[in-house]
Amino acid sequence: MAEPVISMQGITKRFPGVVALDNVSLDVLPGELLAICGENGAGKSTLMKILSGVYQPDAGSMTLAGETVRFANTRAAEEAGIAIIHQELALVDDLPVLANVFLGRERRNRFGLLDERSMARETARLLETLECGVSPSVRTGSLRVGDQQLIEIAKALSLDARILVMDEPTSALTESESARLERVIASLLARGTTILYISHKMEEVFRLADRITVLRDGQTVRTLTKEETSPREITSLMVGRDIDDASAMPARSPAEPVLEVKGLHLPWPGHVRGYRLDDVSLQLRRGEVLGVAGLMGAGRTELLETIFGASDPTWRGEIRLRGQSVRFAHPSEACAAGIAMVTEDRKRLGLFPDFDVAANVSLSSLERARRGGLVSRKAEEELVAEPIRATGVKTPGPHAAITGLSGGNQQKCIIGRWLLTQPEVLLLDDPTRGIDVGAKAELYALIDRLCREGLGVILTSSELPELLTLSDRVIVLAEGRLTAELSRSEATEQRIMEAATGG
Amino acid sequence: MSENHTAGRRWPAWSSEWTLLIAVVVAVIATTAIDSNHSYLYRPLESLRDIARNTALLGIFALGAAVVIIAGGIDLSLGSMIAFSGMVCATTMLALAPEAMMASKPVGGWVVAAGIGMSMLAGLAVGTLHAWLVTSIRLPPFIATLATLVGLRSLARALCESTTAAITPSKSAQIYVADPFFKMLRDNVWISVAVFALLAIVTWVLLTRTILGRHLHALGGNEDAARLAGIRTENVKWFAYCFSAVTAALAGIFYVANESVAAPVNQGRGHELNAIAAAVVGGCSLAGGVGTVPGTVLGTIFLRVVIDAVSKVIKTGADVYEGLIVGVVVVIAVTFGQLGQRAGSRRLLPGPLGLAAIPVLAIFCGGTFGMTSGTTTGVAAGVVALGLLVGLRAWESRSAQAG
Repeated sequence: MAEPVISMQGITKRFPGVVALDNVSLDVLPGELLAICGENGAGKSTLMKILSGVYQPDAGSMTLAGETVRFANTRAAEEAGIAIIHQELALVDDLPVLANVFLGRERRNRFGLLDERSMARETARLLETLECGVSPSVRTGSLRVGDQQLIEIAKALSLDARILVMDEPTSALTESESARLERVIASLLARGTTILYISHKMEEVFRLADRITVLRDGQTVRTLTKEETSPREITSLMVGRDIDDASAMPARSPAEPVLEVKGLHLPWPGHVRGYRLDDVSLQLRRGEVLGVAGLMGAGRTELLETIFGASDPTWRGEIRLRGQSVRFAHPSEACAAGIAMVTEDRKRLGLFPDFDVAANVSLSSLERARRGGLVSRKAEEELVAEPIRATGVKTPGPHAAITGLSGGNQQKCIIGRWLLTQPEVLLLDDPTRGIDVGAKAELYALIDRLCREGLGVILTSSELPELLTLSDRVIVLAEGRLTAELSRSEATEQRIMEAATGG
Repeated sequence: MSENHTAGRRWPAWSSEWTLLIAVVVAVIATTAIDSNHSYLYRPLESLRDIARNTALLGIFALGAAVVIIAGGIDLSLGSMIAFSGMVCATTMLALAPEAMMASKPVGGWVVAAGIGMSMLAGLAVGTLHAWLVTSIRLPPFIATLATLVGLRSLARALCESTTAAITPSKSAQIYVADPFFKMLRDNVWISVAVFALLAIVTWVLLTRTILGRHLHALGGNEDAARLAGIRTENVKWFAYCFSAVTAALAGIFYVANESVAAPVNQGRGHELNAIAAAVVGGCSLAGGVGTVPGTVLGTIFLRVVIDAVSKVIKTGADVYEGLIVGVVVVIAVTFGQLGQRAGSRRLLPGPLGLAAIPVLAIFCGGTFGMTSGTTTGVAAGVVALGLLVGLRAWESRSAQAG
């Protein structure tokens, strides 16, 4: 076996409240395509960002062709011949293609001015090798995502990158664009480039990869050659946790349906797929937790936002609340009708950092803290006391700074805000993201209790054990479509993962 | 003060209100001492009246600017709104009582009321236009109000010319207003002060004690989250822009009264920036969500006191330096505000840019002193500034290495 071109040993990376990578080791052989697989949050992207200098590891070492290296930034990694193509492309939309390819390394002519001609020539040459027919001088933002991706690759090639990291490159591509990308990958491999390839799509992985590494919960599970394994084995390695840590809660007894969605279609103008959601139907009963599983970009958030009146209002289909057909133009209407939504991105879409705890909790029900037309501080304190107690927020007092609380307690405050509106349907979009294990257990107990009190809950989560623990039923979305509906007894991580990657 | 939560939000531990109050007192004492005429000592009432008039006039629409800034927007059009409002008032009165207006005679109470009423309606109309441009057309507030900043003044001039051409013997670029009601507004400074005080109290109650006020803060603090919390953000924005335009319309009435003329070419020109400066000096964050009425009021007072102080000290041509003073006060106030929030974590003169800033600042400083106090003082001031800045740079470099 050849000497590894990259060897990462004992890499550990912590973020506030979470260990993203825990003692991960990885060897990459020269000229191979190593696929890296894992669930959302398994640490794939973090590992690749460490390799390419975006992040610095807290512990561990890295060797490149036998020499120990440590990249302070992406520039250092690029100089060592490692380039990354991020899932979210990092191009300046308003600049022409050639300017993006040479961004930060612009060529100059003998007068010190930009040497557009030489850059254009080089860009055109690179794009030709990539079967990409776009002109070097067109505005980058006017190109399709598939072409933009090839421009990222052209940029990497212009750096003479010997090692290329690709983070889910086909997630936004059409079939023909994906096929072209696969041909490009084959020709890069033939030239001796080493490729690390992150993907969820088993089919693709098994077509391209020489070896496959599976990450789970920030740890390396195994590295296998393609010949000695199967898509089924990889999927089960990706999810394979001890079954008892997904121990389900005692069965609940759901009552009558409260919310029904029929044939929901949410268009996505300008995207190759044309829709964010297509033909999605579901039914939610009182006292039931309905889990919505799906990979990133499958449409989980869009589904909840459409129900809540927060997405663009061009959707088709029907939403019935308590038997009545509804169509909310604004979250405030959904809120008045008894629907509440705890958003996915707590910092960006939920919290008011300038407000104290009480103001964060009371915001959606302030009219209940009014005395004689004015907001009374005392009435507000009384109003928020109950939800703070019910959700178990640990705070020094109602007027403490919200930013001083832990993520779990902030999330409880937001749930408390919605409980004050006395909802019948609670939409929870990945409510435990970035929350530590102890707080998660408390949130699970809270959700279970609310549900037993008669609330209907729709829960999305990027963590399968969480869905299995909490849900009475699970529906699975893949690329905007419903691919499975599983009862509590049918739902396993294996089956959900198969349905989520099958799209 | 740092534990004050009546606003339903966290006050910064470092409170800009107290600092500003101290700064105002220091500025007054310093001026009393430095001013060779000692006018604060010998003519205290007169000095107070000058400052009070200027403060009230600026403060009225600085409150409007602050409300929009707290709601996460910006209103650049206030100065033109002042001119437009004054013009609307004057043309309304001219149309209703042409003879009295042309003869500089009293026009009658209901005509004055109609003029002022039309001005307030003009404020509502402009505010509504802003809100529509910002929420429905989705223009950035900067662009929407930049357009009206330019457009309203022009519109006011056109209104003046077409009305005077139609009613009076000749086309004119201004309309004189001689009604006793406006004379009374001019001669009784306490009226503008009382209006300012009342407006400040109303705004303060609005921002701290009403649902709308909470929603204004929420909108400025996190617009997406506010919408998802069920707040009708477009209605809140409508209120903010209308409030702002109406305060400017109100100020416009006082401008007409003070100058006895509605003169759209220059009235209120550039004053939008003074109002924004007052709000920012008073602790409003242009990022939105943060700001108080007491802060804005103190910011306005501080700004006017410093302007008055400089005019007292350098005696002649003080209005030339007004812009310079506002600029310097804003930079210093916000710089110190930021330093207070994250103490010691930042250098003022880092790297090559810091080095380049040293001669620039020294030359500005020396030049300003040279023009106001003579060449010798100017050179001395420049050299002292250079010495201080070089010292600061050296100190910062050393502590950066040590850290």
